[in-house]
This record gives sequence, structure tokens and C-alpha cells, in this order.
Amino acid sequence: MIQSVDRAVAVLLELQGARRLRLTELASRLSLPNSTVHGIVATLVARGMVEQDLSGRYALGPGVLRLSNVYLDSNELRLRALTWTEALAERSGCAVRVGVPLERDIVVIHHVFRPDGSHQMREIGIDIPAHGTALGKAVLAFDPTRAQRLFAVAPLPKLTGRTCVDTDDLAAQLERIREDGIATASDEAILGEAEVAAPIFDANDTVIGAVGVVLPTSDAPTDRTVSDEVRRTAVSISRELGATAWPPRSTQREPTET
Amino acid sequence: MSTTKGAPDGASGPAARAAITPATGLDARLVERWIAEVDRRLRAAESHLTELDAAIGDADHGTNMTRGARAAVAAVADTVGAEGSGGESRQAGPTTPTTAARLVMAIGHSLSRSIGGASGPLYGTWFSALGRVLPETDAATPLELATALRAALDAVQQLGAAEVGDKTMVDALAPASRQAHEVASSGADLAGMLRIAAGAAEDGAIATIPLRARRGRASYLGARSEGHQDPGATSAAILLDALRTAAGA
Repeated sequence: MIQSVDRAVAVLLELQGARRLRLTELASRLSLPNSTVHGIVATLVARGMVEQDLSGRYALGPGVLRLSNVYLDSNELRLRALTWTEALAERSGCAVRVGVPLERDIVVIHHVFRPDGSHQMREIGIDIPAHGTALGKAVLAFDPTRAQRLFAVAPLPKLTGRTCVDTDDLAAQLERIREDGIATASDEAILGEAEVAAPIFDANDTVIGAVGVVLPTSDAPTDRTVSDEVRRTAVSISRELGATAWPPRSTQREPTET
Repeated sequence: MSTTKGAPDGASGPAARAAITPATGLDARLVERWIAEVDRRLRAAESHLTELDAAIGDADHGTNMTRGARAAVAAVADTVGAEGSGGESRQAGPTTPTTAARLVMAIGHSLSRSIGGASGPLYGTWFSALGRVLPETDAATPLELATALRAALDAVQQLGAAEVGDKTMVDALAPASRQAHEVASSGADLAGMLRIAAGAAEDGAIATIPLRARRGRASYLGARSEGHQDPGATSAAILLDALRTAAGA
């Protein structure tokens, strides 16, 4: 790893988390000398990735927005998911999200509002600890290496009183998800919210993300209609990405042909 | 603790109707006045709560809470209609008037069903736990109410896994419960205790403004949740202030 690049990224991530920081605050968070951090920050300011406000504090700059927009506009999974998720929201009447794994989290890269015209928070860019969301469980079920790494560093955070943080229980859940490709969560990330999600695979038959609906826990589905819709959506997106089967043969005995 | 209460436990018939003077304990009639006041106050605050929630949530807290309050008023009316509140001057009342504990439980059940989002289970749990711990005998003393408030807070924290400082209703409920218990333990009367509790809840709600949300939907916003007062802490403070008002404190 190139140390200076790594440090520059660390500066950006600190600013993402804290919003605005003085040079000395940045340096102490990174445990680096002020002079080192100053050099990095000055370079990032010159390239528009960071800006300095009137009081001298640093914040993310407009260059970051340009990067993130290009990420969204060129992300293959998101592009393939656009029409399918729109249709899923229409048919289910639920909000739909697509997420990809990043370290121990799921980052939401696409969000279709619940089609009822109500005010809703835009969730693109949020991250949710993977074990607390159905999107994460759908990914973890088909990415055992990631699941092992996640479980190895306990304790897992509780997002609500109902977040499952017991790694044995979680492992059993992942086992069930591998059987039918459907992950669920109820009040585990947000009280009052339930989810039904399914994994998305690429041309290497590798899980690269998940698609899922969000609905009030009180309306959580009791039949298979919603999970069938979610599964169909995940199959369609995976097929567009070149996946040959869903779930792939390596992880399932009798996969559905895509 | 029976000075403003119409009749002792389980009594019926021509109980002397007490004037609405400052209550000395939480009885069924005070719960009726409380929930009516909650309904009135939440309707007045609906757009304010919605605005707060629009900044860091789905902008539905105001409508959720007023819908919940309507359902709670109806649940209390149903329970009183079926059981009587002990305050009736009518002769042919039911034989066992309801109690504060049973009314508060009924409120909890109706809120769980009627409020959407996270507030339904949270407020439903708060009232249900409050009702479970209140004594079955009317009326609860200030200390009994304070003890129930602490139990209700515990139940909410169990469900939401939230601590003080996470920018949730716990930031209003926790200091209110703690301070209520402190003053009740040293002999405060109901009015004094509720003034303290309501003040602590209000201060706690205001103190959420600079905090970063660590629980619930607002936590998705990270640093962007800073600088906004938490809608849940705000509605919790309204609930406790409504109890203060209803008790004539």
C-alpha cells in the first residue's frame, strides 16, 4: 500500500465522518504530525477534494461530489437495477434499495421511494452494518469469507434491541438464506421497518450486492408474494449482469436457471 | 393518596366527585385528563413535529403522533366506558372502576397499533411498561409513579438499544425519570415531581440539538443530523408536560 495515498484517503474519510475539522484535530485523529497532514490537506485542497472555510476548518470539497456522481452513473449494478427496481416498487408498493458491501457495512447505491408520494429521506450513500439489514444478510449468505471476517471481530453493534448480534444465530440465518435466496429482517436496523432482500450475482457468479424492499413491520408479509417479487427482481438484475444461475451452482444444489 | 380520588379501591356507587384540584396521585381520572391533554398538545404541535422530522427523518412524526393520540383517547374512553373510572357520580356504575394502571396499558396497546414507524413500538412499550409497574390500586403515589417511569424507560432502552446522547426520546425520558425518582424519594408531592420531570424532559429534548443521531433513521444522516432537535425527544417532552398540566401542577 502506498502510504501517502492511504493517508490522503484517511483524511477524506475523517472529514466525511466529522464534517468539519481543524488541522490539529485532523492530525490528532490520524496520529500524524501537523506538518504531514498539512501537506496532504493542501494537495487535496488544490485538487478540489477538500475545502477550507472562513474559520480555517477543513471540509470535503466539490470534487468529491463529482466523483460520487460518476460512481453512481457508471456503476454497472446500479444501471442494470434501475428499471427492475422501479417495477418492484410499483408492484409491491414498497420502497426498494440496492446495496453493495463495503468492509463491515452495506452501502445503499440506489433507492426507489415508496410510490405513495409521501416525503421520504433519500438513502443513497447511507451505510448500515451488514448484519443488521436483510441486504447485508443476503450478501453474507453467499460470501462466506466476508461473513467469517465479520464474525471474527465481535462484538457486532446493536442498532436496535432486536438486532441479532449472536454469530451462531446469524450463521444459522445465513444457512437458511442460502436455501431459498431470501433474507429478511424485522426491526433490526430501524424499529418499525421490515425488509425482504435477495442477493445479486455477476458474470463470475459472485455475489456483488443485494436488492430489497422496505416496509412497515406491521405490514410485514405473511405470504410469499413479496419475497417472490424480490427474488424475481434479483434474478432479472443478475441475468443482465451475466450471471448464469441464481443462486449460483457452487452455493446451491438446485439453482433456478436464469 | 386518596384525597382527590372519588372512592377507595374497588369501591363503587355514589362516590363524591372530586373537584379538579391539583392531583396528589396518579389515578384513572388523571390518566383520562392526561391523555386528553396529550391529544390537544400533539395536535397543536403537529406541524412543528413534522418540521423537525423533515430535517432528519421521513416527516411523518407529527401525523403519526396525532393519530396515536386519537387512538389513545378512544382506547381510554372504551376502557372507562366498560369499567368506569371511579369518578362517576352516576349510581348505576360498573362494579369495579378501572385503574390508572389498566388505562395506561390500554393506551400502550392502542399506540403500538396506531402510530407508525419507530414511535409506535417505542411509545407503545413505554406506556405498556408504565402500566405494568403502576400499582393495581388507584392511585399511584409519586414514588410509585416515579418507579414506573424508570421501568418504562428501561423497556424503551431494551427495545431501542439507545443510550442517553444517541439523540432519541431517551434523551428526554431518562433525565425526567431519574430526576422524578430523586425528588419523589425525598418526599416531593405529585405536582412538584411532575414539574421537575417535565422540566428535565424539555431540557433533554433541547440538548439533542447539537448531537449526532446514533439510533434510528436519523443515524443514516451521520453528521448531517447535528443541529436539529430530535422529534422523538420533543414528543416525549410533550407527553410529560401534558401530565404536569393534567395534574394541575
